[in-house]
Amino acid sequence: MGKIMLEVKDLKTKYVTRFHEDVYAVDGVSLTIEEGKSLGIAGESGCGKSTLALSLMGYYFAPLHYMSGDIIVDGTNISGMKPDDVRHKILGNEIAYIPQAAMNALNPTQKIIRFIEDVIHAHDPKASKKDIYDLAKQRFEVLGLPPEVLQKHAVELSGGMKQRTVIAISTILSPKVLIADEPSSALDVTSQKMVIKMMRELMEKGFIHSMIFITHELPLLYNVTDDIMVMYAGQIVERGTAREMVFDPIHPYSKGLMGSIIVPEAGTRDQKLTAIPGTPPNLKHPPAGCRFADRCKYATAECKGATVAMKDFDNGRSYRCRYSVDHLREVYADE
Amino acid sequence: MLNTIKQVFRSPRFLIGFIIFALMLLTVIFYPLFVKADPLAMVGNGNFFKPGTYVNVSETVTANRYTLNVDVSGAAKLDRQLNESDRSKMADWLIRFGGVDEAEIDTSDSVALVELWKNNYSPDADQPGLISTDKKSFERLDKRIDEILSSSGIIIATEEEDGTLTESETIDETSYVNINDLATTQTFVLGTDNFGRDVLTELVAATTTSLRIGLIAGLIATAIGLILGLIAGYLGGLVDDIITFITNLFTVIPSFVILILISYSVGQSARGVGLVAMIIGFTSWTWTTRSVRSQVISLRNRDHVNLSKLSGHSMFRIIFTDILPYIASYVVMALILQISSGILAEAQLSMLGLGPATTKTATLGLMMNWAMQYSAHLNGSWWAYFPVILTIALISFSLNLMNTGLDQVFNPQLRD
Amino acid sequence: MKGFRKYYGQKILWYIFTLIIAVILNFILPRLMPGDPTSAIVSKAVTGMTDATAVQKVLEEYTAKFGLDQPMIVQFWEFLKNAIRGDFGVSFSQYPREVSDIIASSVWWTVALQLPAIVVGWILGNLLGALAAYLRGVFDKVLLPVFLFISNVPAFGMATVLLTVFAVNLKWFPTSGGYGFDLIPNASWEFYSSVLEHYCLPFLSIVLITIGGQAIGMRSMSIYELNADYVKYSRFLGIKDGKIVGYVFRNAMLPQITGLAMSIGTMMGGALVAEIIFSYPGLGSTLLSAVTGQDYPLISACTLMITIMVLLANLFVEIIYGIIDPRIKAAQQD
Repeated sequence: MGKIMLEVKDLKTKYVTRFHEDVYAVDGVSLTIEEGKSLGIAGESGCGKSTLALSLMGYYFAPLHYMSGDIIVDGTNISGMKPDDVRHKILGNEIAYIPQAAMNALNPTQKIIRFIEDVIHAHDPKASKKDIYDLAKQRFEVLGLPPEVLQKHAVELSGGMKQRTVIAISTILSPKVLIADEPSSALDVTSQKMVIKMMRELMEKGFIHSMIFITHELPLLYNVTDDIMVMYAGQIVERGTAREMVFDPIHPYSKGLMGSIIVPEAGTRDQKLTAIPGTPPNLKHPPAGCRFADRCKYATAECKGATVAMKDFDNGRSYRCRYSVDHLREVYADE
Repeated sequence: MLNTIKQVFRSPRFLIGFIIFALMLLTVIFYPLFVKADPLAMVGNGNFFKPGTYVNVSETVTANRYTLNVDVSGAAKLDRQLNESDRSKMADWLIRFGGVDEAEIDTSDSVALVELWKNNYSPDADQPGLISTDKKSFERLDKRIDEILSSSGIIIATEEEDGTLTESETIDETSYVNINDLATTQTFVLGTDNFGRDVLTELVAATTTSLRIGLIAGLIATAIGLILGLIAGYLGGLVDDIITFITNLFTVIPSFVILILISYSVGQSARGVGLVAMIIGFTSWTWTTRSVRSQVISLRNRDHVNLSKLSGHSMFRIIFTDILPYIASYVVMALILQISSGILAEAQLSMLGLGPATTKTATLGLMMNWAMQYSAHLNGSWWAYFPVILTIALISFSLNLMNTGLDQVFNPQLRD
Repeated sequence: MKGFRKYYGQKILWYIFTLIIAVILNFILPRLMPGDPTSAIVSKAVTGMTDATAVQKVLEEYTAKFGLDQPMIVQFWEFLKNAIRGDFGVSFSQYPREVSDIIASSVWWTVALQLPAIVVGWILGNLLGALAAYLRGVFDKVLLPVFLFISNVPAFGMATVLLTVFAVNLKWFPTSGGYGFDLIPNASWEFYSSVLEHYCLPFLSIVLITIGGQAIGMRSMSIYELNADYVKYSRFLGIKDGKIVGYVFRNAMLPQITGLAMSIGTMMGGALVAEIIFSYPGLGSTLLSAVTGQDYPLISACTLMITIMVLLANLFVEIIYGIIDPRIKAAQQD
């Protein structure tokens, strides 16, 4: 087992709306990532995965609020640190972030190189402009980006180029953990491929030590990440390796999610595409029992009664369901 | 619809603006129902009478008299009758010639000052450095103080047939009349203006006229802007290019200048309230055109418009059913802004002497213009211009508040 | 660099074209109106309606110089030729002064008053607006309604209130004029200090009005920008707030510059009327006396001058904008 880069224990955060209502978007998430590994987080829109991405960084501003839990980055617990310390010591340096809408992530009126200077100066005020330029140029070249981009403004770049520039900027300080929130969803297929290729290269070349990749597009995860976690209504419902999760999902929600995708591999071709009926619960008032019970076709009255904890099985897999693994596998086989 | 209106009224800015505006509107509507006097009647014979209640002097003499045991001979009377310059004059004399120490004198205590004066002043004292007129003026002051101190009252005399005056009665210091007993009192809440007209009544009439000017100008400007914006935005192509070009041109060429040129050139005699309003309307459409055009362009390729086009609906039908309802809120907001800028434009034109050339109606701008021409701002007649400024500012303030309130509801992005 | 040259070339050409249109309007609008002042001049000149021989002479001179009895197109040509030479004839109301002479003596007062006042007001307004957006809280709660109200007070209203309070009641400043009425313009210290004394109140009233309007706009622009994605992204990269505020300020300011270009005409119009309150010897007061004196040549020259000033100010703003907004350059290179 490799060195643990990121460990999250029972993290809870909430949104406070304009009308002072609490929305429990991340409700007790635990996870670990080892060095050199990548973890995918999948789920429908509104399941809390983007909020999880923001929460993992340990720096909160309205409307997002921290409630409880620990975030340990390479042995340092950052949830006890002062917010300003987190921001200036950890963010950008240890944990890096790639936002969902990279289109607007760059200041439209600033040259890319000036922004890179600001990023590096925020962590190393003494860095000389020349060193920064050399580093940026070299990094851009390795990642297949033309160095001329450095002298341009964000408005002069195409969408795909902007996204790749954002990725290069986020990882310029070789962070321990990279959190990527739907980095390719808004792009065309060609740009998407380039972004994915770039993410792989970041890992291979050691520019990042571990990665969390958040998306609603499951096929992407299967291609990019080592492990996959499925999130539903602010909680993790299942975790396993990418392969296991696609070919042997246990939780009924994971099963439903996998049923709605096509994996171009033998053995999956005969599966019918299915959608999960219903909508996720309102997180202002999360249901008491299993949160998926209302949409689950295997649910009984008991499911809605008591909360379910994560259960381990096999080699390090876990899931959140009242039924046993064998029972679920049997039920699936009967269909 | 009802829901939208509810939402609009929940915006505090809109609500405050609405309340201010509604109060002004109600005043303008109801005031003339109670005060039937001609707003431009020249009541006062003279310039700028200050605010207050005016009572007929001869009537006070004949009215029922009451004796009140209120001290009028003492401090209150001295305070009232000896003004700042009298007191400093007295203090000056006392220090220079009366041998009184400066520290002893307190000009704010009139009783003590007068006592000092009576003890020390003598017209025959040696007054080096004073010319005789100065000496005389001190003598007059002394006499006046004596008059104030004595409480002999005022004697009313009647003229006999042979021309002799006979004392008929004396009015004591302690005589009072009840203001309710007087039949002819006149209250000017805001005084009178340079022509002796009641400012409050005039102001209400002027506000009515100015609101009407704003409304006419706003409606014209909005109508032109709406039509041009719709045509440019919906048709696009060459028509759009031409309209946009002209609009840009008139955005840069100051409308103020065009307003001046036209207003001057139509001639003094033709420039009535309606015409001024129309000129303002015809010179301020650019802003509305721009915003309507950009709204229509963003709507033009929406699905519901495309669907309508595919269904073969006519251009008018598409504009009326698929575009206008979506930009209605913007048009209303534009109208609100146009009304307030129309009122301001009239005021500024009038200040230049290019407002409605009329003596039959008052407008806020004309009131301001008259007040300035008669130097109300230099002679301290604040009531002649300050209420006018406040009214213009409040109309504009309330309309703009309503506008930002609407903006917050219809542009959630700006919500803060 | 090529992008910039193209941008400026286009802008300058466009403004020249606008100026031509403005000149044509300045010429043709009065002549199209029912109360056409020029034909009034002709009729007065021909029938000798005025008895003063001097005025009669001026009218005739003016009629001849501008060919008022000629066809419209000839008149325009004469008008243009004379205007380019700066010749607008002799003033009717201030005979025998040349109109160009009157304009020349008043235009600098207006420029020296309005340009700094609008610039200072604009800068202060933007700073306060950005500060209100950034600090929020009490600062914002107190300042916002104040700004909202001030921005709705007409410039002449602000001028009158300041005059009443500071000049008439407190006597801190003189009440009217551009310098002491007992002084003759010269290069003495006494004259300059008098000019400065007379400058304060008109300057302050324009500044205050400008601050009000600009602060509101800047505040909402800044709030909008503070919620922009790049602000969040910059925070998540550990960049300090000071830097981020710099980004926001710059980006929120750009639309404010465009806004300034759009509203500079209206602002100057308001400020001209405010001049009248102080009897400031600028174009505003000149315009008033021209209107009162039925002095058409002077009015026409004033309006033309105001137009040119507004156009120049606009062009200047757009040039600045081109320099500081890189998007302009980018757009030109496509």
